[in-house]
Amino acid sequence: MVSPFPPSTSEAGEGRLVAELSPQKTSTLSTVAFQYPLKLISPSISPNQKSVLVFLLSYGGGLVAGDQIHLTIIVKKSAKLSIVTQGHTKIFKCPSPEVITRQKLHVSIAEEAALCLLPDPVQPFGSSIYEQSQVFVVAESGSLCLLDWVSEGRTARGESWDLWSWSGRNEVWSSSQLGKKSRLLVRDKVVLGAKSVNGQEKTLKREMHGLQIFGTLVLKGPLLEPLAAFFLKEFSALPRIGGRDFRSQDMKDKDNTLVLSSQEVWRRDRLQQEVSDGVLWSAAKVRGCTIIKFGARSVESGRLWIGDIIREEGSVSRCFGEDATMCLR
Amino acid sequence: MSTKTNSPQSPARRVQDEIADLERRLQEAKARLNGNGDQNAVSGSRAPRLPTSDGPLSSSAHHFLLLLADSALPLGSFAFSSGLESYLAHTRPASSFPEFLDFSLGSYASTTLPFALAAHRNPMAIVELDDALDAAIMCAVGRRASVAQGRALLSIWDRSFSSAVIGGASAEYVEALKEFTVLLRSASSTASSDLPAASAHLAPLFGAIACISGMSLQQTAYVFMLSHVKALLSAAVRASIFGPYHAQKILASVEVQEAIQRAITREWDTNIEDAGQTIPVMDLWIGRHEMLYSRIFNS
Repeated sequence: MVSPFPPSTSEAGEGRLVAELSPQKTSTLSTVAFQYPLKLISPSISPNQKSVLVFLLSYGGGLVAGDQIHLTIIVKKSAKLSIVTQGHTKIFKCPSPEVITRQKLHVSIAEEAALCLLPDPVQPFGSSIYEQSQVFVVAESGSLCLLDWVSEGRTARGESWDLWSWSGRNEVWSSSQLGKKSRLLVRDKVVLGAKSVNGQEKTLKREMHGLQIFGTLVLKGPLLEPLAAFFLKEFSALPRIGGRDFRSQDMKDKDNTLVLSSQEVWRRDRLQQEVSDGVLWSAAKVRGCTIIKFGARSVESGRLWIGDIIREEGSVSRCFGEDATMCLR
Repeated sequence: MSTKTNSPQSPARRVQDEIADLERRLQEAKARLNGNGDQNAVSGSRAPRLPTSDGPLSSSAHHFLLLLADSALPLGSFAFSSGLESYLAHTRPASSFPEFLDFSLGSYASTTLPFALAAHRNPMAIVELDDALDAAIMCAVGRRASVAQGRALLSIWDRSFSSAVIGGASAEYVEALKEFTVLLRSASSTASSDLPAASAHLAPLFGAIACISGMSLQQTAYVFMLSHVKALLSAAVRASIFGPYHAQKILASVEVQEAIQRAITREWDTNIEDAGQTIPVMDLWIGRHEMLYSRIFNS
């Protein structure tokens, strides 16, 4: 039987993915190459799909100590690529502190091209050491939607931020053009589990302050502009912390009879969920990118929250297709 | 006359300092007894190490050390609580100032100290360092606080310090700062762009100005972190968490001294590319400061 998977390259953990626009104006993959432990799978292409979908997988659903993944992705002019995973990326424990598990991603996005990277959270097990570096070089009219999130570990085994160390770096660069150098737009780096300044070990759980999941969403480019604006609008519409309701009982009764628009109903329900699930978030526009940081008291409530907003706004599904958001369901 | 210590101060070093100090005083006393007052040769042989040093504050470097460490330095730091006010609103009634101080020290050191150190090591790179830090601050509130204080420091340099430190300072570093000021002015006149040519963040400017003023790398790091703690404590007093005596007690405590020292040791060799947030929830608190119903601080 012929293997359903494309042929492999030779370097362990190396991978290369090139997406381009076919003459029929659909996005296709011109190169798919990978080597154990990395695995890339793309479902067969349907003629009316909005972007080409690729599953970023690893054998066994996780990375064992010392695994090194190095994936290069090129999204050519006007092509659209969505990358998803199948379940959490597990980071298994390390036998000793010198053995580091690494994942490197280098992406270039050409003019009018777009990448949507909405994976499942990374799940670092107790005593794991993980370094992730993701570099995105985006052309002026290119678009990027990137979610990077990390959970507290195997909750079922009683783990709560018992990892040894986790570091994640996301860089967005503008691509070099005639006479203009490539310039760093955003460098978001999170380092967890390095020894804390109060000199004690095992303080990460305290430092995470009850959050089971923490994530960063980076949005850039014309296709994601509506979603970015939506986040910023919802952020500024958050109720004030410590504010009081000065309305009289009459006014409250009167306000309760008002018919809310569907968006207002959605916002009210979402705000209730934010309070009950302990979702904390903030949004800011930084040098042409919109950065949303969020944390929640449970992994599922974090997933529910981000998925709810992205679906409500709808531009990710419109631009990339429903499947692009499958990890947020 | 900057003397660069290559490793942060340890208890052993403090004892060495004390021995050096006692030896110097012995020699001075002997010199007085013999009636020859050749003190310069003696004090010149000893490296000025602060903050534990109580040696003569004769040099210009010491003078500027005291000025930059002074809470009266008009940076406007009193307007910022670095997330304390937001932390209180988010964690009431379980708020704990010692917990926040711990978080804030670790987070401030891991995100900004590498930039101050890098600028002291190479003030010529001020433009690149400022730009890299601007790319690394993910929230509007934190960015405003850093830029407001950085610009104030640059003004202090421009209007007050620069005429006084010409002495030992390297002319090319002074020139680099001057060029940075010009770049900043041209950037703010074309304010519409998303990508400013210069922003004037506090950490790299502090490192560069401390270097030009002759402070050692170790002194710069310590003063930079201590100023942060002082600003937090001052904010805590004004937020009525405790009174001024309790604030001084915390400031003076061995715990704070050690925590600053540990933070410096941890970040001493951190590249600016690896500077990052160690307390993610801090970004959320600082970013959500704008959501508070009532505010007495700008951050």
